[in-house]
Order: sequence, then C-alpha cells, then structure tokens
Amino acid sequence: MSRQNRYLQESGTTAIIWIAATLVAVPFFCLMGDLLWNGLNHLSFSFVFSAPQNAGREGGIGPILISTLFILGVCMGVALPMGLGTALFLAEYTRHDHVPGRLIRGSLDVLAGVPSIVFGLFGNALFCQTFGLGFSILSGGLTLACMVLPILIRTVEESFRAISNEQRLSAAALGLSKPTTIRTILFPAAMPGLLVGVILGLGRAIAETAALIFTSGYVDRMPESLMDSGRSLAVHIYDLAMNVAGGNPHAYATALILVSLLFIINFSSSRMAARWMSFNQLPA
Amino acid sequence: MAVSLLATIGVIALCTICSLDASLAQAEGHKLVITGSSTMAPLVAEIGKRFETGHPGVRIDVQTGGSSRGIADVINGVADIGMASRALKSQEQHLHGSVIAQDGITIILHRSNPIRELTDDQIRAIYTGGVTHWNQVGGPDAPITVVNKAEGRSTLELFLDYFQVSNRDIHPHVVIGDNEQGIKTVAGNPHAIGYVSIGTAQYDATHGIPIRLLPLQHIPATIETVREGTFPLSRPLTLVTKSPPAGLIKTFIDFARSSQVNDLILKQYFLPLQG
Repeated sequence: MSRQNRYLQESGTTAIIWIAATLVAVPFFCLMGDLLWNGLNHLSFSFVFSAPQNAGREGGIGPILISTLFILGVCMGVALPMGLGTALFLAEYTRHDHVPGRLIRGSLDVLAGVPSIVFGLFGNALFCQTFGLGFSILSGGLTLACMVLPILIRTVEESFRAISNEQRLSAAALGLSKPTTIRTILFPAAMPGLLVGVILGLGRAIAETAALIFTSGYVDRMPESLMDSGRSLAVHIYDLAMNVAGGNPHAYATALILVSLLFIINFSSSRMAARWMSFNQLPA
Repeated sequence: MAVSLLATIGVIALCTICSLDASLAQAEGHKLVITGSSTMAPLVAEIGKRFETGHPGVRIDVQTGGSSRGIADVINGVADIGMASRALKSQEQHLHGSVIAQDGITIILHRSNPIRELTDDQIRAIYTGGVTHWNQVGGPDAPITVVNKAEGRSTLELFLDYFQVSNRDIHPHVVIGDNEQGIKTVAGNPHAIGYVSIGTAQYDATHGIPIRLLPLQHIPATIETVREGTFPLSRPLTLVTKSPPAGLIKTFIDFARSSQVNDLILKQYFLPLQG
C-alpha cells in the first residue's frame, strides 16, 4: 500500500510538472504558428531589403531593419559597459549591506518595474529636448539603454555573487591582482549569467514600442547617421496593425522578421560568449 | 563606481557633441519636423516622401503621437508643423490651420436591409442597447448585430463624440479594427449595423459589396457632402503652424493642399480638397 502511494505521488508530481511545462510552451507555438501562417507568404528577399511604400502596405522594411539594428547597437554599446561596471561595483567592490550599494540596488529594482511609456516620455524630455538630440536613433538607443540597464545589472550582479568566495581567496593566495582575478576567474564563471542578462535586455529592447515612438520616432527613411529619426520594427508592426487600414499582412511578415532577428542575435551572442571564454581562461 | 562614472561622463560628452552636430544640421533649414495625429501620420509621411523627390536636399520628418501632441509641439517650437485630425478649437485660434483633406464617417447596413434612414436617437438607442430588434425601428423582425470599433481608433472617438455616448455603454456583438474589416462584417451579416470611413465605404459600395450608406440628419453620406462640409459626422485633416506659413513650410503646405497629392490622399481613404 505504502509503495503504491509512493508510486502515485511520484508519477503525479511528474505529470504536473510536464503539464506545466507543456502549457508554457503552447502559447509560444500558437503565436509562431499564427505568424508563420499569416506572414510567410508575404516574406521575400525584396521585402527584407526594399523601402516601405504606401504607408507600409506595399514595399518592404529595409530601412526599418537597419534603424532597428542601429538602435539596438547604441543601446547595447552604452548599456553593456555601464551595466558591467555597475554590477562589478555592486558585487566585487562593495559589501552586500553597504549603504550606497543598497541604494543603487533598490533604485534599480524600482526602475525595472517602470512602464516603458514612462521611459519614452523621460527619454523624449531628456535626450530629445534637453540634450537637443531631437527624434533620433541616438535618443532611442539611449532611452532603451536606461530601460535595459536594471535587468542587465541585477542579473550580472547575481551571477558574480553566485561564484564561491573560495575562488577569490585562492586567486588572492596565488598573488593575482584584482583586475586579473576579475578577468580570468570571475568573468568566465559569470559569463552564463551575463549572457542571460544580455538576452533578456535585448528581448525587452527589440520588442519596445512605447519607449521608442517618442524618441527614435516614426520616420521610415534609410538612416544616414545616428542623428536621423528611424522607425524600429516593433513600431512599424504597431503602426501597420493599429493605424494603417489593410496593413495586417505586412505587420505579420514584419513580426516574423523581428522574431527571426531575435533568434539570430541570441544565437550569435551565446556563440560569442563561448569563444570569449575559450580565449580568456587561465591555462590549466 | 569609477567605471560607471566614467561611462556616464562619456555618454554626456557624446550627447553634447551630437547636440552641437544636431543644431548645425537644423540651422541649414532643410528639415521640417511634423508631429501629431496618428490618423494623419501615414498620409503626411507619404506626401513628405513625394515632396522630397521634388526638392532634393529637403527632409520631411513625420512623427506621430496624437493631435493634441501635435498642437503642443507646434506651440513649444518642437515641431515646425503639427497634424490635427480635427478642426482647431476656439482656444487654439491663435494658431494657423491649413486643411489638406477631409475624413467622414458613415453608418452602414447590409444592402438587403429595407431601412433607408435612421435618426440620431435611433442610432444612439441601437448602440446603447435600448433597441435590439430591427422591427423596433421599422425593419424586419430580426435581432440587430451591433458592430463597434476597437478601443483606440479615432473613428470610435469621433462616433462617440457625435452621438454623445460613452464606450462603456456600448455592448457590441462584434468589435472591428480596420474599415475594411467593418465593411466585410456588415456585408456578411444582413442584420448588422456598423460605421466606417466614408471613402472606403463608398468605394466598396460602388464595387459590388452589398452595403448601404445611411444618411445622417437627412444628409446623404457621400464624398461630395463631406467635401462641401454639410455632412455632420466629418472632420478636417489639418496642418497647424504657429505663425502664418512662410518659406519651406508654406511650400510644403501648398504642396499638401495641391492636386499633386490627390492619389496619395485617396490611397489612405481620405478625401482630397479638389475633385
């Protein structure tokens, strides 16, 4: 009897966990299925590379794709060094109960929950108007960086904290300087966490509309510099789906490109991290 | 801390350099920033592209955000031209509005429905649930299918504003987004009532789609009555400037009001000023 009970308990738990995981996967596959079903037949080489026409109902998304990459580039170019620096400060240069550290951590946790439209209005006021950058890819990228930083810093900080202290002590006992310890021991160990932070941050950035519509703007011309206004893929999808009568087919096709771009970026960033790790570990 | 401080200084320095760069670019005066109504933004962006091809070196940057934002941006000097998909209000008379096109909204029924006209009160009662069957307003004995616009559509706002009802009081059977979707819904349901942009509806009705455009206050829903300004449920698409248009701004507004952009206006389902 008791053996049977145990068997029931074990198979019951397994079943519940399987059901939970399956239920989580279902929306993703429904969404992808819907995108593929409605978008795939509008997808072509010229759609990806040509300029939009007739408010996006015709033509392609070439300039919008380029603008999106520029915006993401600015965002990550600013967020990565600042995020890494702050995470190192919080994890390696201050104690966990250190007052400035706690203040920074607390403010980051609040920032992480701020709605993106607030970041959009903030970015419009600070970057577009006070700094005089106007509607530009630079304004949009900097606004996104502000939005991504909290997630990035907190994930990276936690992955530094998860490294056992013995590793730091062993490095110190071997006479390694702190920068060398960080570069050769802590960084490779924290790399998976860093990667998660980057992927989560990029995911938030690439899907953003509200923070960008008032900062990088609505112009769908090919950008010539970071000072040009440039429409992102997500803003384009929003406009086609919500504002342009008859824009749905191209909204689906653009969404398909957006998801593919996310896959490519995630894949290549994990490959880059793997390469970096193989170069920077101390010889055994 | 030192690292992030350095990075912050770096970003601020970068911003300063770029802001110098930006002010230089704007000093050339070959760029127009236009912000406002999301309804107008796709149309004005298309007009801007055609204007750019005829004026090399000029750039028209169109930003969206809503009519009231367009008006605020013009007042603050953030934008050269604002877009408002409505007439200027009485407290905005110090601004200068130039109408570039008209937009109208019509009530549509299925063509097999014998009803030829509904009063404003009857339409209000149908949408707020006071009238649920066509025989209550002189039609066949059949339940009414109420087709409403989705939240966030300017057509919905104009409809609510004209009939003085709140969207919370409307209990629609079908909620639609685009004009085309509304027309297909009504065309496929003999007992439906909906409302869409006049341009699209008139085009479809004359191209064999079984819908009928109802008059409002006895005024027929046609492109002509909207153009004359007699059709009650219509609005002007307006370009707004702080001072009387001059220079490049005037050239652009004149271009947007000319017959050279009629095809662009029609393609966005609005009504051009000239036939």
